[in-house]
Parts: sequence; structure tokens; C-alpha cells
Amino acid sequence: MLLCDFHIHTKYSDGSVGLRRAVDLFGQAGFDVIAITDHVVNGDTSFGRLAHRFRFSVKEDNFDEYMSNVRREADRAFEKYGMLIIPGVEISKNYISSDKSAHILIIDIKEFIPACWSYEKIFLEAKDQNALIVACHPHHSSEMATRDTLFLWNNRDKYAKYIDAWEIANRDDVFNVISLKKFPYIANSDFHRVRHIYSWKTLLNCDKDTDSIKQCIRHNKGVAITLFRN
Amino acid sequence: MEIFIFFVCLAGIGLVAFGFQIWSILEKLKTEEKHNISGCGNKSFCGRIHPASFRPGISVLKPLKGLDDNLFDNLESLCLQDYPEYEVIFSLQDHNDPAYKVARKIKDKYPEKDISVITERCNAGLNPKVNNLIPAYGIAKYDYILISDSNVMAETDYLQDTVKHMEDSDVGLVSNIIKGTNARSLGSVFENLHLNSFIMGSVCFLDKFLKMPCVVGKSMLMRRRDLEAIGGFEAVKDVLAEDYVIGDRMHKIGRKVVLSGHHIMNVNEYWGIRKFINRHTRWGKLRWKIGGASYLSELLSNAVFMSFLPVLLWEPSRLTLGFAAGVSSIKILGDIYIGSRLKTNMNPLFYLLSPAKDLLIGLIWFVPLLSNSVVWRGNRYTIGRDSMLYKYPESAFWSWGYRFVNAVKARVA
Repeated sequence: MLLCDFHIHTKYSDGSVGLRRAVDLFGQAGFDVIAITDHVVNGDTSFGRLAHRFRFSVKEDNFDEYMSNVRREADRAFEKYGMLIIPGVEISKNYISSDKSAHILIIDIKEFIPACWSYEKIFLEAKDQNALIVACHPHHSSEMATRDTLFLWNNRDKYAKYIDAWEIANRDDVFNVISLKKFPYIANSDFHRVRHIYSWKTLLNCDKDTDSIKQCIRHNKGVAITLFRN
Repeated sequence: MEIFIFFVCLAGIGLVAFGFQIWSILEKLKTEEKHNISGCGNKSFCGRIHPASFRPGISVLKPLKGLDDNLFDNLESLCLQDYPEYEVIFSLQDHNDPAYKVARKIKDKYPEKDISVITERCNAGLNPKVNNLIPAYGIAKYDYILISDSNVMAETDYLQDTVKHMEDSDVGLVSNIIKGTNARSLGSVFENLHLNSFIMGSVCFLDKFLKMPCVVGKSMLMRRRDLEAIGGFEAVKDVLAEDYVIGDRMHKIGRKVVLSGHHIMNVNEYWGIRKFINRHTRWGKLRWKIGGASYLSELLSNAVFMSFLPVLLWEPSRLTLGFAAGVSSIKILGDIYIGSRLKTNMNPLFYLLSPAKDLLIGLIWFVPLLSNSVVWRGNRYTIGRDSMLYKYPESAFWSWGYRFVNAVKARVA
């Protein structure tokens, strides 16, 4: 089984460790597959403008640099640790109301996707790029410092058809509603700080290449979750 | 005023002891340099290769439990030794240990190397590290056994530099000095400062001036026959300080215990303060149980702690605070000097935390006098004379305090 984490932030957005350190942390711990998914925040709200101002967001003008650095780290990580790195982003639509907010992982992204686009446009663009679409922390979270992002869950009847998988567990939280609805699932750390490495993870029973991994998650066979503890 | 003068004298003793510790470390490093030069005439000419023909096969036993900082690199460094004949045995208690995956990755990365990964649950004794070593020792094929902890990273000349001491047939055990590196959190900074000053200084001091075998188990090289002569790992399966006891028994059967000046790295990157306190409380308890009254010398050698006591016990005046600041500055400079000689690459600003670390260590010093239980690798034990371990009686009446604390912790979580 491949030990995977598809939700990792670095200093490209609001993570506390740089890209190289984050890669080394997961490599040293024996991970097989990770996705680097820094925030792309919508710039059409005060939240978003603040994130852009304080550089807590990947933007169109540094997206190419971000991707090339992730790819360079991917080469290094594969050679040194045998660990596959998939480039991605977390489209973050932040609003004052939790019911309006949503975060979406776009894994294996190729071209920049602005977060201020409509949901349909974002999903269709991601599909065009053959990227994996994952709804992040879709239900109420236990962390007081974290704002809930409930839009996709509240509008699941409309949007579930676009979503390849839902986070059934994020860091320390487990969202049993995903299980009850029998949605395809994965579990991630939402890594921002070093201690977040010890959290829920995904185990995949497939080959260690990007296409097999995406297929495995979409079909949701050979997927398990594990609470990674030291 | 008498109180102040009294503690000035004690702090003075501490600074002198610190000076001796620095001297011992420098002497040990010099000895190693001389050893290298006499071994090959000119090290720059012959590079890192020691020309001597003494190259016995070595079995490196690596007991693993959980994820240490930098684990992949630590394990890999043992597999990249510039040494002709050796094997590496990674030993774990079960497949579900997160270190298992890392060990497998290393084995897969170097298929041409002689690497084994064994998982065997062994409950021979109470010391979990020895329980891990016993199965590995059972399959070791060479006559020279090197125990290397999982949090140790070594240079490529580690084996050849360490084994050369074994050319002297009277030598029974070779250990190495350890430097802490790569601190990125407060707990790790404290840990590395303490390893590089007090721990390394004390080990070198005991070796140079008192000729006492003080073995730190992160690296121990022995001959199989010597290990068997002291009863093998079975003899230390129920002691906390198996490293000290092995060294002591080697000494008692007349074998030399050598401290190699080749330093190995203990990579501590992301320790929390709690981990630092837990480790040094445990180490303090075992030194108290082994050393008895000599444990007092540790407090006396803590000049910074002594210099701050007048502030608490007399008055926080310009005189007392100035004295404490002066002693702290000397200690910081000493630590910076050792760090530069050892090439620890620590951020210079981190050395400013050295007095805070010493104050904390001073407080930790008292804990062993009040408690004889330790938590190690998730298990709680009580420790007796010579660090003998006993299972902690969880249900005993007098252990209500721990049960109460655990219940509160569970509720709060």
C-alpha cells in the first residue's frame, strides 16, 4: 500500500515550512506519494485581498515559478526517497459566511486556475486538465482556529458529479457524513506545521505513478485511511 | 551578603568545571586528529582512507522504534560507509512501526548492500532497546558488533575510524562522542546545546581525568566474545542504562573502554520542550541511581543555575543580576567556542538560549530526588539501584497521582 498525503501547504501560501523542508519531512518519514497544494485564494473579497497582500496565495504571476520548483523537488524526491510528488493547488473561496466558503484540491494541475471563477468553470477547467478534484474539509471542523467550508457539502446535489473524492478525514477530524453518503474518499493532513504530519492519511493499493493514483482515487477501490502516529 | 558570596563560590566552581569540560573535549578532538595523522602520515594526502589493513567484518545493529528526526538520512548514512565488509541489520518489534517503511525503502534503494530488516516481537526484558537488539544479534554474522541508535547520522569514515581502536587487542569497547545538530525548534535547540556542552563535556572529562568508562549507547563497538563474556544482551535486558552497564562490566573484566574522538551526529530537529524535559529527567534519574552522591556534582557544575540562585534567595539587585548575567555570558561564549570547534552549524542566536536551558536543567536536577518512575518509549517503569527497571505498578494505591493526572489529561484532550 502506498502511504499518501494529498494536502500539503508550504511557504508559497500559509505553510510554516518551505517547499524543500516539507518535501524532506515527508521523505524522511517514508511517504510514497504526496501532493503539494498551496492555496490559490479568491481576490474578490476582503479575506482574499488580505491573503494576496500577505502572500498567502499562489497567484497567476508566480504560478509558473511554483510549478517549476515543485517539479524540481519532485525529481529530487523521487531520486532520493523514491517518493512521488504531484503538483496541485487548493482553490480557496473564502467568504465571511462558512456556508458560502469552499476549498477544493486540484491535484495534478497543469495551468493556473483563478479562484474567483465560478464553481462550474473551475471544475470544468480542472477536468480539461485531467486533474483530480477533491472537496476539502467539507463539514464542521473541530479546530477553533479553522473556519468551516460548507458550501460544497450544502450544495452536494449540484456539485458532487464534478468531485472525484471528498476528504473523509482532515488532520484530526473525521467527517462521517462522507461515509454515510458513500462518496469516494481520501484522508489528508492539511499540513501547515511540522506537527501536522501526524494526522489522517490515505493508503492506496496501486502503482506509484500519477495516472494510476488518480484512477485509484476516482474508482475508489483499494483506498484506505490510516491515522499516522509516531 | 553571605548567601551571595556562597553562591559566587559555587558558580566559580561550576565555571572551572566547565573550563575542564571544554579542555577535555578539545583534547579528545586533538587525540583523534593525531591518531589519524599517525595512522596515515598525512591525512590530506591519503584522504579519508585509513591505510591500516585492520578491516574486520562488522555487523551494525540498528534498533528502530518510531520516527526519529531525519530517520531516512540516519539509516542511509550507515549504508554508505567507506568500509569493505559490513552488514546493517534494522531491527523492529513489528511491521506497523512507521520506521519499518523507512527501513524497507533504504533496503530497496541499495539492493547491492548487505542490509536486513527484521521484525520480531521480543519480550525478553523490560528494556525495549535491548529487546530490539536481541533478535538482531541472533542473526549478526560478524565478530565485531556495532550498536548504532536510530537517531545517529554518521560520516562515511565512521566505521574505519571507530574500528581502528580495536587493533589493540586489549580494547573491549569503543564508543563515540556525540554532537547534536540541525535544531529548528526550541526543544531541539535546548537538546543540542546540552548534548554539545554538558553531556559531551562530562563524557570527555570522565574519560580524560577520572579514567572512568562512561559509555553513551548511541554508538558502541564490541567484539562478540567480549560481549558474551559479560553475559550478552541478556545480562542488561532489565536495566535502563544498558550502555553504562555494558561499559562498566567490560571495564571490570579488564577490557579497555575507549572513547573515540570521531564524533557522530545526533540530529534533533523538531523536539518540543516536553520531550527535552522527559529525556533529561529520565537520564537524571538513571545517573542518580547509578552515581548516588556524585550526582550532586552535576548541580555544582551548573554555574548558570548557581549564579541565579542569589537573585531568588537573597534579592534581585544590580549586583546579583549583574553576576548572573556575567556568568551566563561566559557560558554562552564557552558554548559558542565548543560549537565552532565541533562545526555544529547552529544559528549563533540560538546560543543566547543556553542560560535558559541551564536554568531548566537545574530545576530538572531535583526531580530524580523526588520520583523514581520513568516513561520510556510509551512504557512506565520504576528504576532501582544501578538503573534496574521494574514494571510500574499501575494499580498500586500510591500510584493514584499518576492515574489522576492521566485521567485529567484524557478529559482535557
